[in-house]
Amino acid sequence: MKSFLTSSLFALLASTAMADKITLYTSQPNADAQRTVDAFIAANPGTEVDWVRDGTTKLMARLRAEIEAGNPQPDVLLIADTVTLEGMAQEGLLTAYQSPEAANYDAALYSPEGFYHSTKLITTGIVYNTGVEAAPTSWNALADASLKGQVAMPSPLYSGAALIHLATLTGDESLGWDYYEGLAANEARAQGGNGGTFKAVASGEKPYGMVVDFLAIRNKAEGSPVDFVFPEEGVSYVTEPVAIMSSAKNVESAQKFVDFLLSDAGQELVLDMGYIPARDGMGVPEGFPARDDIKLMAFDPAEALKNAEANKAKFSELFGAE
Amino acid sequence: MGATLKTGGSRAESRLLSAILVVAICLTLAPVVRLFVEGITDKGAPSLALMQEVLAQPSTLSALKHSLVTAGFGTVVSLVLGAAFAFLVALTDLRAKAALVFCLMIPMMIPPQITALSWTQIMGPSSVLLKTLGLAPPLGSPQPLYSPEGIILLLGIQHMSIIFLTLRAGLRSIPQDVVEAARISGARGLRTWWQVVLPLTLPSLAAGTAITFVTALGNFGIPAMLGIPVGYATLPTLVYQKLAGMGTTVLAEVSVLAMLIGAVAVAGILLQRFFQGRQKLHLVGSTARPLALPLGAARLPVEIALWGVVCAILVLPMFGLLATSLVPAYGVPLRLDTVTFELWHEVLFRQPVTARAFVNSFGLAAGAALALMVICLPLAWLMERRKTRLARLFDSLLDLPYALPGVVLSIAMILLLIKLPFTDATLYGTIWIIFLAYIARFFAVMFRPIQASLKQLDPAMDEAAQSVGASLYRRLRDVILPLSAPAAAAGAILVFLTAFNELTVSALLWSSGTETLGVVIFNLDDSGETGMASALAMTIVFVVMALMALIQLMSRRFPKGVVPWQT
Repeated sequence: MKSFLTSSLFALLASTAMADKITLYTSQPNADAQRTVDAFIAANPGTEVDWVRDGTTKLMARLRAEIEAGNPQPDVLLIADTVTLEGMAQEGLLTAYQSPEAANYDAALYSPEGFYHSTKLITTGIVYNTGVEAAPTSWNALADASLKGQVAMPSPLYSGAALIHLATLTGDESLGWDYYEGLAANEARAQGGNGGTFKAVASGEKPYGMVVDFLAIRNKAEGSPVDFVFPEEGVSYVTEPVAIMSSAKNVESAQKFVDFLLSDAGQELVLDMGYIPARDGMGVPEGFPARDDIKLMAFDPAEALKNAEANKAKFSELFGAE
Repeated sequence: MGATLKTGGSRAESRLLSAILVVAICLTLAPVVRLFVEGITDKGAPSLALMQEVLAQPSTLSALKHSLVTAGFGTVVSLVLGAAFAFLVALTDLRAKAALVFCLMIPMMIPPQITALSWTQIMGPSSVLLKTLGLAPPLGSPQPLYSPEGIILLLGIQHMSIIFLTLRAGLRSIPQDVVEAARISGARGLRTWWQVVLPLTLPSLAAGTAITFVTALGNFGIPAMLGIPVGYATLPTLVYQKLAGMGTTVLAEVSVLAMLIGAVAVAGILLQRFFQGRQKLHLVGSTARPLALPLGAARLPVEIALWGVVCAILVLPMFGLLATSLVPAYGVPLRLDTVTFELWHEVLFRQPVTARAFVNSFGLAAGAALALMVICLPLAWLMERRKTRLARLFDSLLDLPYALPGVVLSIAMILLLIKLPFTDATLYGTIWIIFLAYIARFFAVMFRPIQASLKQLDPAMDEAAQSVGASLYRRLRDVILPLSAPAAAAGAILVFLTAFNELTVSALLWSSGTETLGVVIFNLDDSGETGMASALAMTIVFVVMALMALIQLMSRRFPKGVVPWQT
């Protein structure tokens, strides 16, 4: 009880006395989130960061509940996709900030009003267990009858990146919804997020999968029996944008956080953690082809936002998922 | 109850009773009532439209079916395992019974999601253990535990301790004379068991079965870890998925689902009451000496079999968990050159959420145990002395928050506390909502043992103190507290250990900064960090086993009845 009281007391003190504290909601993996926060604090001594990690969809549900209860916690969001943030910006839940660092970014990577800025490129490609005989090279290979019951993928009902992946592939002329119908007929498993999908492939339970690049490439470097393929049709991508809530209690430090993520040092860290940085003129991490060789599939965020609900409904119908 | 008691109690007692009773009712029954109101109203007017709509959804019916199937067959598994152990431990001359009982208690004290996590590590093509031994099934073979059968097996193992404990308590109340009389009359071995012991224990067996069924019905950790990956939803995981995916906009809808789980649970409890009501066996004779039927030549094989089962359900999965936590990435076989403590270091020392969760879980568990002791001690005593109508009503309903699955209670708590009456404040998103939910959930766990011990108290002691002018407070402190302290301590230990491992309630109530240990493990595994989740899970298993061992070691200094698994 004593420690409980003490901790409550500290929490109270922290929220009143320590003005220079921001709360971050992020969908980055735990270890990356901690590294990002540590680097930011090192560059901005005196600022504290509390962070919470969860999948983008679940994090948004939590945030919605907090808004409804009149007590939104985060100052800053660093989550998978621009579509979610575009929706929030339209609802007036985000505050605009023109970061001076934006000059070094492709204009397509941030909102013109400054509601959100992309921090990295996370592509979704094919992952396979190295125990299989032949490596797939195209999206179509996963819908081939020879791989029946062998494929796993993250559910767009669960992961922001997966929803964008769905929008990208179904929007592609050569693939479209026919492709997803093929996957469904092939009994591809579409449950949970990228984490669960990677696990299924690394464990060999489902030797083939669609997954975000860094999970596969990074774990491969650690010895996991997996390999990652950039399919010939190209890859879908999310950009993990950062945004400041309009309800932020500490806007000044939140802006510093945004600037840090977009700065040279912040992008070096992104590279070092094994992601493709969004900033112009940066390299790619080990294990990736040169950035010019990565073919990005066409994607329209506004269109994706408009179709999000219909896409989810159609997907549920095809895969019988809740 | 003497005439003095009816008329002689002080007015202070009445006032205190009413005050504590109001607090207790607010804490335990108000959320349940609030939930009920949500399900049967629409914008303030009574309506069954929402209920009809939700009950007509195919996903509701399939989740209900899945819940009944997994909880039902899971109970059968518990029954077989738990009853076999209880009969053999309570009736025969097995050696090292204390050690066996201690090991059997561990599955109950380990959070269900850790049980599920550890079992998935030793089976399927992913198993580091099987890979290391070269026995792993081929690529593409499914993880066999991701199935209804897997959920049933693990629910059965998780809850066998409940059957074991209730049945052993029942067996212990059978006087040795009865069995000896049967033996003298010529009954031997199995016949003694079949014709004498079994009929006498049927009521406690039935009651234990009902509790196990209700507990399995409310279990979230196991179906969440094993069912969600393959889209096999039970009612609690359906509620979780709806709330996690859509937030509080679906509160009304999930409150109907919650009531559905509640209805099934209450049916189970009524069944238990029915069987307990039939337990009208009047037994005479001393129960001091435990039974010790000789197993003869069968003793060693039976002992080997029992310890083999304990090993399979306890030690093996823990090895799986350990192996997964020691390799650098998922899918790497464990060899001397691949062992690394990197994940342990990361999760224990680099992730601030771990320390936060330890403080939260420890504080919540200790706080709930302490607060409940403070409320339940005087309340149980006053309710025993002054049987007002309200007190009797409360007595018959106070098991409800514990009997209802955790998901149901969480929804009820959110509904009750998301907007505090007469203010703009909310407790949703703070640690207090979890704390209050724990108080409601574990109220009966603390109250019932204290009540049972006070029922055996001779009222003369208190009356003597009263007759020499001791005040209410002094009598509580000097007479009642010392006499019921062992029961309260046993309740506190149980509350602490269960709350420390809790997931179901906090999974829906946690927020930034208020994560509990159960939530952290679940979320780590969910995001693909299975190695880190395993490392943290191992740490918690060690902590729980150390706590239990400490209590066991100190049990000789405690009065009889303090250590819950020794009563």
